[in-house]
Amino acid sequence: MLKFLVRRVLGLVFVIIGVTFITYAMGYLAPGQDPIKALLGQHYTAIAYHNLQVQYGLDKPWEIQYLNFLWNLLHGNFGLSYRFPGQSVNDIILPSIGVSVELGLSAFLLAILIGIPAGVAAALKRGKWIDTTLMGSMLFLYSIPAFVFIPFYQVLMDILVAHNLPYLPVSGWEGSISYKIAPVVILALTNTGYFARITRTVMLEVMGQDFVRTARSKGVAERSVIYIHAFRNAMLPLLSVIGPSLAYLVSGAFVVEDLFNIPGVGYQGINAVFNRDWPVLQATVVILATAVVVMNLITDILYSIVDPRIRVS
Amino acid sequence: MDIEKKSESMLEHEILSSPLEMDPDILAAEQNPSTPLRDSLRRFAQDKRALISLAIVLLMILTSIILPPIYQQIGPVLTLRHGFLHAKPSQYHTPWFINNESVDTGPSSLYWLGTNYLGQDMLARILAGIQVSMIVAVLVVGLLDVGLGVLFGVLAGYFGGVIDTVLARFTDLIFAFPGLLFAVLITGIFGQKAIEIAGNNGMLILVSFTLGLTVWPQMARYVRGQTMQLKEQQFIEAARTTGSTSLQIIIRHILPNIASLVVVAATLDISGAVINEGVLSLLGLGVQPPGSSLGLMINESITNIAQYPYETLLPAAVLAVLVLCFSFIGDGMRDAFDPRTKD
Repeated sequence: MLKFLVRRVLGLVFVIIGVTFITYAMGYLAPGQDPIKALLGQHYTAIAYHNLQVQYGLDKPWEIQYLNFLWNLLHGNFGLSYRFPGQSVNDIILPSIGVSVELGLSAFLLAILIGIPAGVAAALKRGKWIDTTLMGSMLFLYSIPAFVFIPFYQVLMDILVAHNLPYLPVSGWEGSISYKIAPVVILALTNTGYFARITRTVMLEVMGQDFVRTARSKGVAERSVIYIHAFRNAMLPLLSVIGPSLAYLVSGAFVVEDLFNIPGVGYQGINAVFNRDWPVLQATVVILATAVVVMNLITDILYSIVDPRIRVS
Repeated sequence: MDIEKKSESMLEHEILSSPLEMDPDILAAEQNPSTPLRDSLRRFAQDKRALISLAIVLLMILTSIILPPIYQQIGPVLTLRHGFLHAKPSQYHTPWFINNESVDTGPSSLYWLGTNYLGQDMLARILAGIQVSMIVAVLVVGLLDVGLGVLFGVLAGYFGGVIDTVLARFTDLIFAFPGLLFAVLITGIFGQKAIEIAGNNGMLILVSFTLGLTVWPQMARYVRGQTMQLKEQQFIEAARTTGSTSLQIIIRHILPNIASLVVVAATLDISGAVINEGVLSLLGLGVQPPGSSLGLMINESITNIAQYPYETLLPAAVLAVLVLCFSFIGDGMRDAFDPRTKD
């Protein structure tokens, strides 16, 4: 177990260093106006320029800049914004992490609560109309991207407003829970479809195995066969798919955050692109990539606890 | 003994000439000996959902190619800008022509699907958008996903060693960038430059390149796994003992055997490529105005969705149909080529 852990953590460190290097290199190679000049604008003087350059650490050669970048990262410091003078990237990005986690986690739970039971139901009624209908609609949810659902949702809300019917807000996040319903549901749709399809496949595979037949033939009640024998064994392969999805939900919410004006990490990242605020974009990328890698590691560890055979291979 | 023998042979004869033999299916099968490929194609041909989807996609692509030149011939000469500009349909039925005297109109005989907030032709923009989606799909999936994925997957699976290690590390790295993050990073930073160099074509190439870069490792992983399995099989060993070189074995034995896997995975990746191009354009990181893309059309019109819902819903619906059809085709292909995965 220890050996397995050490190997996985080393791999993680490699990946994170790789990610920071790519991100750093992109910011360094970014074409366009010198960020310090852009920051100074009309107040440009040679002395002010030099002072700021030193303050931002941009007077040093690139390898030193990168090491500084890493060193600051280790201390949880993402540097200074190129767009907003005097503001640190932390001020901009840290509040958004909570928002993204809340959005992603809620969508994740919703997708699990709907997707997995739907998949189990479809597997149990295999070939029946319930199965066909469920899986057809799940493929629909899985295939259609969020940014197609959002305009339709907005139009629906406009219609409700026009007819004096109860409606949900189409933009914003802070405030009452009514703001959160639509973004969470729409973000969850794709994964609901995905979880349902995977659950069905895995369940069918498990249900066809010998130990299920044994359980049935020795007279175990069908309910126990399904929930104790089959489902518990189906959990394992499900875990390996569902774990990483959480990170993807937290980080893949660019579109939902953008179209609903939710100040999450993705939203800040997109804004940073238009502000040419590379340090903020770099912070976004490093935070999200780290989240993914760490989630994958946690999944692997959980998996190896549940199924010790994994550690060997 | 003799009788027994005779009866046996008679029995045999009877079985051979039994009505079963005349069954048209079997006759057809004898004329066309069943091969795995034929079986798969037959299974695919029985999948109605996939076939209808394929027909819709082909129809959309053909329309996007054939209709614009025809559409640009139909319509009167417009007198615009207080008589200073005489515009022919070959001008105003293009995706980029701005007719500010005819803004946000619904469908009419002049503009078949109406105009957007700038007075650009919706039909022309949608058709151009479909073309953009297809170009990206071909570049991303056809070139990078299949090209790089198969090349590195086969090399890593067949030879192992350094290539395998490098591939594994690179794959880990790319997978750490969730979803579109890598594409957002690259297009966000280098988009402006790409537009300066080659206009919207430059942007399309950059978008395709970055999207391709994020999908091919997955393909390489599939191919690698399959190649490693094949390599252990006896017919490969037989080929090696008869003196085939590695290159010959890869070309003659490995590639044909992984072809169906690659085709299925690539078809499934097309929806992803189409969606991702849409997302990037929607976020303002893809195709830029006056170019057209389905995602960009949503981006341009969504702020006015309350007044003109049609202008957003139309491109969104076209994109949804396109994506859904590719999903159904991919699903059908997977069931047809790899029946084991079909429950």
